Amino acid sequence: MTWRALTHRFVAVPLALVAVVVAWNVYIAFNDHGVIEGEVRDRAGAPVAGATVIFFERNFVYYEEKQRATTDAQGVYRFTDMKTHVGQLEARTADGRKSERRQLRLWFRSQDTEVPPLVVEPPRA
Amino acid sequence: MSWFRRKRTREAALVVCFLLPSLAIFFLYRILPLGWNAWLSVHAWSPLKAAQFIGLEHYEEMLLDDDVFWQALANTLIFIACSPLAIAAALGIALLVNSDLRGAAVYRTIVFLSYPLMTVAVGIIWRWLYDERGGFINYVLRSSRLIDQPVKFLQSFDWALPCVILADFWQVLGFYMIILLTGLQSIPQHLYEAARVDGVPASARFLRITLPLLRPSIFLCIVVGILNSFTSFDLIYVMTNGGPGHATELLITYIYKAGFGQTRFDYAAALTVVQFLLLVVLTVIANRLSGGNAGSLER
Amino acid sequence: MPRPSRRPPGSPPHWPRHAIMIVVSFLMLIPFYWVVKTSLTGENIYAYPPRIVPVDPHLFNYVDVWYMIPFARYLLNSVIVTAMAIAGSLLFNVAAGYALTKHFPGRRWVVMLLLSCMLIPFQATIIPAYLITSWLGVLDTWLGVALPLLSTIICIFVFKASFEAVPPSLIDAARVDGLSEWRIVTRILLPLSKSAIATNVILTFIWSWNAFLWPLIAIRTPEMQTLPLGLARFLSVMEDTTGALYAFVVLVLIPGLAIFLMAQKEFIRGLTSGATKG
Repeated sequence: MTWRALTHRFVAVPLALVAVVVAWNVYIAFNDHGVIEGEVRDRAGAPVAGATVIFFERNFVYYEEKQRATTDAQGVYRFTDMKTHVGQLEARTADGRKSERRQLRLWFRSQDTEVPPLVVEPPRA
Repeated sequence: MSWFRRKRTREAALVVCFLLPSLAIFFLYRILPLGWNAWLSVHAWSPLKAAQFIGLEHYEEMLLDDDVFWQALANTLIFIACSPLAIAAALGIALLVNSDLRGAAVYRTIVFLSYPLMTVAVGIIWRWLYDERGGFINYVLRSSRLIDQPVKFLQSFDWALPCVILADFWQVLGFYMIILLTGLQSIPQHLYEAARVDGVPASARFLRITLPLLRPSIFLCIVVGILNSFTSFDLIYVMTNGGPGHATELLITYIYKAGFGQTRFDYAAALTVVQFLLLVVLTVIANRLSGGNAGSLER
Repeated sequence: MPRPSRRPPGSPPHWPRHAIMIVVSFLMLIPFYWVVKTSLTGENIYAYPPRIVPVDPHLFNYVDVWYMIPFARYLLNSVIVTAMAIAGSLLFNVAAGYALTKHFPGRRWVVMLLLSCMLIPFQATIIPAYLITSWLGVLDTWLGVALPLLSTIICIFVFKASFEAVPPSLIDAARVDGLSEWRIVTRILLPLSKSAIATNVILTFIWSWNAFLWPLIAIRTPEMQTLPLGLARFLSVMEDTTGALYAFVVLVLIPGLAIFLMAQKEFIRGLTSGATKG
């Protein structure tokens, strides 16, 4: 058994695979707190405080509400401990403005994610 | 002398020890089941009931009262009867790839690529290709205006069996090709050169030299085709599960259903005996047809 | 291996043959392309007409597979069963192949027995094989699934042929040096039979990795299911409503394809030696 054996394709390919898997799992271990955060803005781009952000979790074929969060003075919301990898986010304000439902797909369960800003708009007449 | 004998006994012990595990496995999973099948097929037996000898009653039921058996038998025979088509196609490809064609190795790899795949996955791929909405085949047929309405291939009584056979072709084609290529490469090249010098036309060279010398390989392909009716269980199970009705039921899927669906182990054993006999008879016929030259099998 | 492609004068040109082979290759590759495309596409897979190139492709179907089913568990079961089958078949086949190189009374009978066993397809033994395995008490275990593959006749003959090609003087010299029989096998014969080992490993891998009918019968609980069973089960649960099914298919196919492409030569030699021996 010499070092040259390591370059043989039957050794090198499995080793490379193992290395990728280990690296991936290490990355996951450092990034799986389930924190999903982002900002809610209005059309003009100003942060919206006190808006409710709803997280819908996929349940096989339809989405059902799982958790709500409220934005702070800077318009920032934060979900913690979201044990999921696919869902939708929607922001609503007290005066009836709503954002689009934003599809959220993560690379692994409870990945820490920063979501691009949700923009609330007044309901169409 | 005693030293010699001790060496002999030591060697005998070695042989026994080395052979025993393999022989045990073959005994447990090949020979014993063969006998057990025969025994079960003439008894009424279930895991909860003591065996009772009933003679040929299972066979009587099968031959006289069981329409599904006849359909499965017919489908199995159709399945086997279609394999020469794939063998002919494989022979064509083998002839093309065997020649001094640049990149022949690449073609060979591509054609063979589907053989080592998991048959269950192959079944799912083909099920998807035949799908009436997202499937490739309906898409091609519809966009080339050959059909107006999508065809539900796998749900159709007429189309299901040919479709499954085509999927099976796709998987085994490469294997036939490899067997035939090995055969082609063992044909001495000087025969062709002599024929060419004598001005024998290519078609005659093929009929007089290639085909006769390829007979053992073709026989092997036919045996593989016959065995394939057994091994296609995975494909049928995933693609149609014998349906619609029993339009794609093979004997092997029917054996599985009888044994593990209805827990009629005894009846399933009788079916197995029939299929095994079919296999043996067909192999012997194929051997006769290919000139009684099963040398490659017995060597 | 490509031979020099200088065609003799007077023989027909090459391009028609290339044209035919390109069409054939294309037809053979379409199913692969279609399933990979479906697994990557971001749109509804049932939209008609289907797009030839995936629309906003992404890899999230593969993420879905991981969480929708116990993929890791299926993988573990498949890997363990395959590893057991490979290790066991190597050990038993090498031993049996070596024993068959010895001249002992009844050797002819053993060879005949093995050759006739080879004609019995495993599928024709499923009912008694199930009863035997349940009688052995290894139903629904890794061992039970691997057991029928623990020794393979084709590979025994491959090893026998390979061992017989080793010069006897080498073995005699080792015996004079006092090496035990097993040492002779592991130290002298096996290093000279690398291609036979590769054949055995690859064939057993393919048979065990792709096996469906036997695990379907021998496995009763969902936790013990191997990848093919998981695939069939996923199909029956989801009734192909999702691209994740096709992502699963691709994931399952990759190991077989990778092994084949890495060891094509050994693979084809193994299969043809198996085929030509029965």
